Amino acid sequence: MVSGKVVGYVIGRIFQCLVVIFISTTVVFIIPRMATDMSPIESAISRAMAQGQYTDPRAVEQLRNTLEVAYGLEGTVFDQYIKFWGNILRGDLGPSFSSFPTPVMDLIRNSLPWTVGLLLVTTVLSWVIGNILGGIVGCNRNKRWAKGLEVTINALRPIPYYIMALLLLIVFSYILPLFPSGGAYPIGTVPRRDWSFFADVLKHAFLPGLSLLLVGIGGWFQGMRTLVSHIMGEDYVVYAKLANLNKKDVFSNYIMRNAMLPQITGLALQLGMIFSGTLITEIVFNYPGLGLLSYNAILRSDYNLIMGVTILSIVAVSFGTLIIDLIYPLLDPRIAY
Amino acid sequence: MKKVSCFLAILTVGLLIGTAALAQEEYMPGVSRNELIIIENPDGRATDPDNFNIWAPGSPSWSRGLQQISMDTLWYIDPDEGIEGDPWLNSLAEEPPIYNEDYTEMTVKLRQGIYWSDGVEFTADDVIFTVETLRAHPEMNWGPQFEIYVDEVYKTDDYTVVFKLKEPNSRMHSTFTVRWSGCYIMPKHVFENAEDPVSFKFNPPISLGPYVSESYDPAGYWNLWKRRDDWERTTLGKLYGEPGPKYVLYVGLSQERRILDQMKHELDIIHDLSPEAAISLIEKNPYAITWFEQFPWAHPDPTLIAILLNNEKYPYNIPEVRWALTLSLDVTEIALASYNGAATLSSIAVPPTGNHLTWYFEPLQSWLKDFSINVGGEEFHPYDDTIPFQLAERAKNQFGYDVPTDEDKIKQSLGYGWWKYAPDVAAKLLESQGFTKDSSGRWLLPNGELWQIRIICEAEGRPIMTRGATKIAEQWKKFGIDAEIQGVSTAILWPNYLTPGNYDVAYAWNIETWGGHPDLSFFLRTWHSNFYRKSGDASAGSNYIRYQSEELDKIIENLLKIDFFDYEKTIALGQDFLKLMVEDMPEIPVMSYNVFTICDEYYWTGYPTSDNPYTNPVPNWANSKYMFPKLKPTGK
Repeated sequence: MVSGKVVGYVIGRIFQCLVVIFISTTVVFIIPRMATDMSPIESAISRAMAQGQYTDPRAVEQLRNTLEVAYGLEGTVFDQYIKFWGNILRGDLGPSFSSFPTPVMDLIRNSLPWTVGLLLVTTVLSWVIGNILGGIVGCNRNKRWAKGLEVTINALRPIPYYIMALLLLIVFSYILPLFPSGGAYPIGTVPRRDWSFFADVLKHAFLPGLSLLLVGIGGWFQGMRTLVSHIMGEDYVVYAKLANLNKKDVFSNYIMRNAMLPQITGLALQLGMIFSGTLITEIVFNYPGLGLLSYNAILRSDYNLIMGVTILSIVAVSFGTLIIDLIYPLLDPRIAY
Repeated sequence: MKKVSCFLAILTVGLLIGTAALAQEEYMPGVSRNELIIIENPDGRATDPDNFNIWAPGSPSWSRGLQQISMDTLWYIDPDEGIEGDPWLNSLAEEPPIYNEDYTEMTVKLRQGIYWSDGVEFTADDVIFTVETLRAHPEMNWGPQFEIYVDEVYKTDDYTVVFKLKEPNSRMHSTFTVRWSGCYIMPKHVFENAEDPVSFKFNPPISLGPYVSESYDPAGYWNLWKRRDDWERTTLGKLYGEPGPKYVLYVGLSQERRILDQMKHELDIIHDLSPEAAISLIEKNPYAITWFEQFPWAHPDPTLIAILLNNEKYPYNIPEVRWALTLSLDVTEIALASYNGAATLSSIAVPPTGNHLTWYFEPLQSWLKDFSINVGGEEFHPYDDTIPFQLAERAKNQFGYDVPTDEDKIKQSLGYGWWKYAPDVAAKLLESQGFTKDSSGRWLLPNGELWQIRIICEAEGRPIMTRGATKIAEQWKKFGIDAEIQGVSTAILWPNYLTPGNYDVAYAWNIETWGGHPDLSFFLRTWHSNFYRKSGDASAGSNYIRYQSEELDKIIENLLKIDFFDYEKTIALGQDFLKLMVEDMPEIPVMSYNVFTICDEYYWTGYPTSDNPYTNPVPNWANSKYMFPKLKPTGK
C-alpha cells in the first residue's frame, strides 16, 4: 500500500520537474533573442547574398519584411512567446528558419535515431565497463596488473577526443582497412529493415562507438576506483573481511552497492545529455546526428531549431533525474519517502 | 608543415598497397569505380536532404550536384576562358538577350529540342511559370527581384519570351546568368501541381541538366547522380558532347577525410584545402592536378580579399590615413603568412583572375607607375611592379618551392604589382593630418588619444583570413599602431558586422566580379549613393565600406546606360572606377581568394588548368558543369 506521503512526494517532484522544464524552456526562448550577434532574418539574407548573385537593394529590403512574417517574428518578444507556448502545447516546434519551411520536428526526427542509437549504447557500455573495471582495480589497487590497467586507462583519458577519433580512423580504416571510413551505412544504400542493413550499421558505428567508449570509460573508471578505495577503508568492510565473509559477497554487496549510488545519478544525467549529440564524432566520422544539426542551427541563428534540440535535452535531463529520484529508495534502503 | 608531410609519407605506402587491390572493385552496388567520379560537396551535410526545391527560401545545399548538373538556366558566364574560348555561354537561351532601345523590354530566344528528364519538352511556358511563381511568392529565392523588375512576362511563340520591365534595366538578364549561381528554370508541369511551391520538396528533382538523381543519403552526406540516357537532349550534351562519367557522387567530408580519401583515389575532386594540407597532398600524390602546375597551384577566384575600411568612421574617412595604412604594409609578408606565398596579389579593386588581367591589369600598368600621391609637398610614386617577383623569391627561400621564373607566368599567377612598403612615407602622411607618436613610439590621434585598430576577420571558418589579418595587425603594430584582430564566426561576420557597418576595419571581401566579363556593375550597382545606408542600417548590397562619391555615381550611371556587350565602353568605365579607387583608396585591395581545388587523375583526366582554362575547376560553382564533357576515363 502506497502511503499518502509517498503520493505527495511523487506529485510534488513531478510538479517540480515541470517547473524546471518551463523555466529552462523560457530561458532557451529568451537567450537567442537577446544575443545581439543573432538574427535569423539577416542570417538568411546573408546566405542568399552569398550565392554570388547581384541582388537589388530594394529586393533585399522586401525580403527582410517578407521573412519577418514568414518566420513568425513579427510583433513583440512577448507576443512571440505566447505564440510559442501555444505551438508547443500542440506539439509544434514551428518551421526551421535555415531549412524553411520544413518543420523542426522533421529535422530532429531525421537525426535523433542515429544520435540515440550511438550514444545510448556507448554511454551505457562505458558506464558498465568503467564501473566494473574501476571497482575491480579499486579492490586490488596494490596488485601489479591493477596498477598496469589503471596506468593504461589514465594514459588514454587525457588524449583529446579529436586526436583519438582521428587516430582510430587512420589506423582501422586507412592503414588496416577493417572498418568503413565514415557514414552510418554504405554510400549507395538507403536505410531498410533487414539484417544485412543492420549489420552494415553496426560495422559503420564501430569506430565512432569505440572512440566514444575509450574516452568515456576513463571518467567512470576513475570515479569508481576512488569511491571503492574510500569504501575499502570503511568499518563495515573491514569488519566483513575480518568476519571472513565470502570475498565476492563483500565486493558486490558491501563495496559496489554503496559505490554505485553516485554513479547511477551520474548515468541519469549523462543519458539526458545524449540528446545534445556529439559534434566532433559526427564531423570526424561523417556520422549523422543532432550535434551537427544544433551547431548549424546556432551558426544560422535558427531559433526554432536551437529550441527544438535544447528542449529535447531539457526534457530528457529533467525526466532522467526525476526517475532516478523516484527509484532511489529501491537502490538505497537508507532513503525512504 | 613537416608533421603533415611526415604523416602523409607514412600513409602513402600503406594506402598505395590497399589501392592497387581495390582499384577494379565496384564502389557501390551496380556502380564500378571507373564510371564514377567522386566530388567533394563543401556544404557538408544537408540538414534537410529530402528537399530539392532550390527556389524555396531554406533550400539546403545547392552544391550537392543540384545546381551543377541537374539545373539549367538561360546563360552562364565562365570566370575563366569558357569551354569554346568565350566566357559568355548561351545555355537554355539560343542567343544573348535582346533589349529594346530604352531597356524596358527584354526578349529571350530559347533553344529548341531541350527536354526535362521526364520527357517533357522545355518551352517558354517554363520560363514564364518560373517568373510568375517566384513573383507571387516573394519569400522564395529571386522572388523579390522579379516583383520589383517585371511588369509582365509573356511568349510570342513556344521559344520566345518577352519581359516587360517596370523600369529601364540594361542588366535584367543577370538574374538568369550564372556566376556561381543564378535563377534556375522551374518545370512548369511539376510545380503547377504542387499545392504550395514554397513547401514543395521537388523530390525526386526533374532535371534539365545531363544527370538525374539516382539516390541520396537520407542523413544528408551524399548524393548520387546518373547520366541521363537522353543526355543529348540537354544543353550541355547538345552543345559539347557526352558527359564523361556515367555516375557522379557528391559527398561532404572533413578536411582529414578529404586528404585520406584522395590518397586512396576515393575522392576525385577536393573543393579546397588549407595551403599546408594542399601542398603536402600535391607533393605526395603523383596524380594530383592543380590549376597552376607549380607554385602557387591554387585557382584565383573572382573574389577580392581586401582590408575593408569603414569610410564613415574617423579616422578612416581621411584619404591620407587610408594611404598611410596601405604604405605601412609589406604585402609579401601577408601573402607568406596566409597562403605560404601562394597568393595572387592585386593593387586595384578587382580580383586578378581570368580576363581581368587583359582588361584591367595590363592596360593600367603605365597609369599605376605614373600615379603619385602628394607627401609633404613632394610627389611619391607608390606602385611597385617588382613585388610579385620578390614574393616568388621569398617563397622559394622560405619554403623551398619550385617557383616560376618566367615573367609572364609570375604576373599571371602572383599578380602584377602592389604598393611599396614605405613606413617613412606613411608616417609623413599621418603627421600631415596631426597624428603624433608617444614616448613608446605608438601613434596617437590628433586629439592625443591612443589610436587603436581592431581588425574583424573570420575565425574558425577560414584560417587563411585569420592568418592574413594577424599579419596585418602585426605589421601595423610594428609601425606603431595599437592593432589587434577579432576573429568571428563566418556565419555572423557579414550579417552582424559588415552589413550593418558595425566595424572600423575588417579583413574580408566585398568585391566579386563576373570574372569572365568586364562589366563591374555586377557588384557596383549597389554602391550608387541612391542606395547608401549609414552604419547602423543594413548596407545595400556590398557597399559595406560606406563609400560614396559623385564621380562613382556617374561611373555607375554610365555603366548601366551602355549595352552589356559593348566591351570597349564597359572596360573604359571599369578602368575609371579602378583609378578612382586607387586615388581615394577607400579599401585596401590585397589578393584574390585562391582556392586549392585538387583533382586526382587516377580515374579521370581532362580537368581544367591554367594551360587549358576552359572553366572553373572549383566544384561547387554551377559553372563547373562544363567540366563534364571534357572528362575522360583513364582506363583504370
